[in-house]
Parts: sequence; C-alpha cells; structure tokens
Amino acid sequence: MPTSPADTITRRVAPRAVVALSQVGWPSRLGAATRRKLGRRGRVELFFAFDDPCSAIAVIDLAARVEGRDVQLLLKPVVGRGIADDPAVDLKRRYAIDDARRLGRRAGLVLSRHEPLAAGDTAFLAEWAASAPQGPALTRFCVQTLLVLWFETDGPVDKAAHAAAWRDHFGEETPVAGGAECVHRNERLMRRRGPYDTPAAWVHGQWFFAHDRLAQIAARLDDLGWTVRP
Amino acid sequence: MDGQALTSATVDFFFSFRSPYSYLAGPRAFALGERFDVEVVFRGVIPMAMRGQSVPREKGLHTLRDAKREANRLAMPFGRIHDPIGDGAIRCLLVAEHAVDVGREREFVLEASRGIWAQAADVSSDAGLRPICERAGLSWRDCAAALDDPDLRARVDADTAALAQLGHWGVPVFVFAGELFWGQDRIEDLEIALRDAGLERPLSPAAGA
Repeated sequence: MPTSPADTITRRVAPRAVVALSQVGWPSRLGAATRRKLGRRGRVELFFAFDDPCSAIAVIDLAARVEGRDVQLLLKPVVGRGIADDPAVDLKRRYAIDDARRLGRRAGLVLSRHEPLAAGDTAFLAEWAASAPQGPALTRFCVQTLLVLWFETDGPVDKAAHAAAWRDHFGEETPVAGGAECVHRNERLMRRRGPYDTPAAWVHGQWFFAHDRLAQIAARLDDLGWTVRP
Repeated sequence: MDGQALTSATVDFFFSFRSPYSYLAGPRAFALGERFDVEVVFRGVIPMAMRGQSVPREKGLHTLRDAKREANRLAMPFGRIHDPIGDGAIRCLLVAEHAVDVGREREFVLEASRGIWAQAADVSSDAGLRPICERAGLSWRDCAAALDDPDLRARVDADTAALAQLGHWGVPVFVFAGELFWGQDRIEDLEIALRDAGLERPLSPAAGA
C-alpha cells in the first residue's frame, strides 16, 4: 500500500531528523570551550522534587559526581511535575518507591520509606531551597534533607527537624516569604528546557532523567571538557 | 531436548514494537535465558499511544534522543526509523505470537525491532514485513495467515490487559517472582534478583577458560 507524503514525513523523516540533529555535538562543545576561555564554569541544572525518591538518588549522586570538576550543580526544586492529566500518576509514584529502593542499593543506601510522600508534605522544603542562593550550603542542605527524608525516616515529615538543619547549614532562620514564586520560576524553567518530570538534569543543551543516566551525565561533562581534575 | 534442565522460573518480558527502549532491551532480555536458569516469556503489547494514553510531544522527542544515546552506548544501530504505530505494530504482534508457537520469537522480535528502529522497514506492508519474517526463519505463508488469526489477536489483547492488571503503563517491563522491573536500564537489577534467587548458571569450563 503506497504511503502518503504526510505519512512518510511523520513516520520516517521527522524521527530520523530528530535523531540526526541530536548527534550534532559541535555547538555545545564550542560553547563549553568558550565558557572555559571566559573563565566560566560548566553547569548542571538539576530539577528535582523532595517528594520524589528518585530525585533523592539523583541529588545525592550528582553532588558527589560533580566534585573535582569545574562544574556548578544548580539545584532547582519543584513541586508541580509529571504529565498533565496522566492517569498513571499514582502508579508511577508508587513504583518510584520500588525503583528507588533498587537504585539506592546500587549506591549502598537502604530506602527507609515504604509509602509515597504527597507533594504538599514537602512543598515547604522546595520553597526554602528555591529561595536560597546556589552554592555548597544549599547542596549540603539538600543532600542531607533528602537522605533524612528517604533513607533515615518513615512516617510524617518533621518540619522542625528540617528547620534546625537549615539553621545549621545557613546560620539563619528559614525563609518566610517568596519561596513559592521561586519554585514556580523553577517549574517554568524546567518546562522551557523540556523535562516534564523529575529528576531531570539539563547539561548544556541536553537533558537526562538524572536517576537513570548518572554515568551518562558524567560522560557528557567529560565530552564537553569538564573532566575530573587530577 | 538439548540436555539442559527444564526451567520452572520465568521472566515475563512485556514488549512493544513501537517502543525504542523495548528494542534496546531485546538482545539482553532474551540472553537472560542463557545466563540464568529461567524461561524468558515474550508478551507483546499494543503501543501506549494506541491504548488511549497520552504521549506528549516533548516525551516523544526526548525518547528518541535518549534512545539514540543509549543505542550508542550499547553499540546498537538506531535512527533509520519507520514508526510502526497502527497496522505495522499490530502485524508484528500477530507474527510474534505465531513465532512463539514455532519457537522463533527471539529471532523474529529482534529482527523486526531492528528493522523498525534501524533499517526504516515499513512493517505495515508485506514488502517490509516479509523479509524480516524470512530472516527470522519463518514461513511467509504461515506469517500471512497469522495476520488474520483471531486466536493470536486474542493473545495480544490478553497480554496488553495483563500489563494493565499489573498496574503498569509502559514498556519494556520484566516480571520475575511478582516483582516488576520497568526499563531497559533496569535489566541489571533484574539480574541481581535472579542471582539472589540462585538462578545463575555456573560458568562452563570453556567459558571460564
């Protein structure tokens, strides 16, 4: 049966073009080299959610993986995530527990939670973190908080304990206003970059589901010239 | 029989011909039966987009780009695509069921998915499907008959329903001892589970030499 031109474009030409264009690497390599010449660091933007156990895997791993590279890990907490009107959202959240348990085992971590957290249970953490300046203090706070949330505790989220951790890391009280707008800004940026769910890492023109592609993110940084310094 | 012990353990392998990740999983999935004392049971399902589930444009684009990266990593050809959604996917599912009956599902599934994702084979046409069937060692006459076999179609529908009953939505999915593993990148976790269950075959002296 002969196929129509539109059918040929949809089924053959367009997917082939998408794949071929994804293999064009010189613009990002040139961009990376230019950044280095200007004395600027590489960037990994990591969109994550505190209620997502796979985000915990990604944040904890990538915080260690960018160590020793001239790369800044930009932590972008979100609350809204996922495909709009996805009928499988509850199944996905439940499956994420099993998946994170197995991914944690690869990293020597034991998941302590058995039930998904609701986005609302951890939204305050996203608001705090989204309003903080990027840097080592924020990274340490997020790593510690996700470890506590997913690998050390079960049951209700202890806001007072997390506030105490915030004071330890930042030497000041938790933010009182503006956090929700910062979270929305992260959500808008995530959509602009392409990812529709967390954890997602944007690495100079390509994005990855971060918990699935940790080694590939490191390989991307290597390819762009941001290798681990001896 | 070739002297191997009969296996009682099974790994259900839920697969869609429209899923590039199913294609990437195929060779390693079928090879599990060589390294572990398990039977890999092929269960072909109707593509997600034909089951009324939404696949946003951004997800489709990301899947193609990410599958290419993964194909490069796995040294598998990928990119000369002919999307089989519709008749092509269903025809492959029906022939796959026939291939199961004659013990050549591994050959057919790997050939057909490579044709779709790496050789731009239009499996909705006889001209596209026939050489794939023949390379898989199947009789084209039998395959053509399978395309109109309501019993085979019922098996496809049953496998599609079984995936939904498991509470899962995408493919590839592996089920071993009631545990689900979703994704071509979770085969290593499945292997750990098989090893933990004591199902790893001992290395033969030749292989260990």
